Amino acid sequence: MRKYLYIYKSELMSQLQYLFNLVFGFIGCGIILFIFFNLWHYIYSDSSQIINGYSVDQMIWYVIITEIIWGACMGRTLCRKISNDVRGGNIAYNINKPYNYIGYSLASHLGTATVKGIIYTVLALILGLVMMGNFPTTNVLELVLVLISSILAVVISSLFTIFIGLFSFFIEDSSPFYWLYSKFILVIGVIFPIEYFPNVVQPFLKFSPIYVVSYGPAKLFVNFNINDCISIFVAQFIYILVAYLLCSLVYKKGVRRLNVNGG
Amino acid sequence: MLTVVKNQIKVTLLSIKYGLMRQMLNKTTFITNIIFMLLNNASFILQWVILYSLKDNIGGYTFKQVLLLWGFAAGTYGVSHFFFKRVFSLSDIINTGKLDASIIQPKNILLSVITSDVEASALGDLIYGYIMLFICDISISSFLLFTLFIICGGIIMTSIAIIYGSLAFWFNNTEMLADTGNSLMVNFATYPEGIFKGVVKTLFYTLIPIGFANYIPVQVLNDFNVFGLLAVLGVTTLILCMAIAIFYKGLKNYSSSNLMSARI
Repeated sequence: MRKYLYIYKSELMSQLQYLFNLVFGFIGCGIILFIFFNLWHYIYSDSSQIINGYSVDQMIWYVIITEIIWGACMGRTLCRKISNDVRGGNIAYNINKPYNYIGYSLASHLGTATVKGIIYTVLALILGLVMMGNFPTTNVLELVLVLISSILAVVISSLFTIFIGLFSFFIEDSSPFYWLYSKFILVIGVIFPIEYFPNVVQPFLKFSPIYVVSYGPAKLFVNFNINDCISIFVAQFIYILVAYLLCSLVYKKGVRRLNVNGG
Repeated sequence: MLTVVKNQIKVTLLSIKYGLMRQMLNKTTFITNIIFMLLNNASFILQWVILYSLKDNIGGYTFKQVLLLWGFAAGTYGVSHFFFKRVFSLSDIINTGKLDASIIQPKNILLSVITSDVEASALGDLIYGYIMLFICDISISSFLLFTLFIICGGIIMTSIAIIYGSLAFWFNNTEMLADTGNSLMVNFATYPEGIFKGVVKTLFYTLIPIGFANYIPVQVLNDFNVFGLLAVLGVTTLILCMAIAIFYKGLKNYSSSNLMSARI
């Protein structure tokens, strides 16, 4: 475990050199938040209106939290990195090292995600305060639980992205599969809470990755409930286990097909 | 003069053709890229189905008009990223001295750089654009107008990318600025302008000209007016001229880095 912590720390220190880039990169996320601020204010005729159990402020805070998590995940970068490692043969330098490639990729990626997550959280919360002038919750314990749930969401999303990236062992470019995964999470999980979908679909969504990757932490932030909190944490731990097993399975099958031609 | 233009067009088309052939080397990946991009774009229909279940009219647009807006956004993106892919890495090309290879060629430098590669998935965007058009309106006139508008929109998007990319002639580390500027065009393009107010709306017709690339074309296609058409054509020409002028002005500041590399 110590070696992965060391990899995590090295990546974290390396990312601290590019703080300005990350702050600048928040502009894209800020634009999305601005668009949804306008969109939800257009949809809600007044601030007291409640749609599917959410007020306009709760909807905007929901999008802010899911966007922070999604921004910190940087799935496209991770998927491209793993895809390039496999296609370019770089993976050959990793498989003969005394660490597990999945663990290495996860630890390294989480180092980057930590720095980006902190910057995005600070800036997005400031933006949210400026746009709405209030916070859904100020209870420290609730905020800590939301933070832990958000971290677990990033871990799960990173493991799913590694899983998709490892498809490159079988097809040359796994990016298209990542597009589909990202749109599934983005359109269904990041923009709308599960309650916005028809009653028939809701139970399925509660068993899908959306529940643990985006809906869970955001729901806890806008409307904290201890029962929801427990079920979200249980689901997140199960998903971490399942996602890791899936990664290991694909990696084991894929690495047998690896053929590196010199370098 | 006419022969020079003819030759330049021939070289540019050949460059795009070879770029496409490179992408088609692995047919499975090529087709997967296109199909998945179609699915990727189509997934956003769900977002609008949910939003329109809450309100009949969003920002002055009906559901069909939003589909058409998506058609224009995808088509514009497709034209720009398929034919002029390398314009989106212009900053990097200038900063790393990769412009040398194009400068020594006896053809137009800017065209040579930006058409030297194609993006296969952008074909998926182009196809998606036409699917959205056919869902909203099937007629030869709308097909021709749509094609004209996405070419204009693609040129506007490419011109803006040339302007952002050319900043690298004067400043260092402009990649992030260029990326952010280009993503502004994409992010706003799929939302009805009516949901925005004040200064932001003005930006759509000035610094982020998606008004001319997307909003006016939707209006013209729904209710034809010649002024809208002329405005799009005029602004496209103006932005393109500005972009070319800025690029060649900046090129005078370019100095070779003596980069040695193999182009395969």
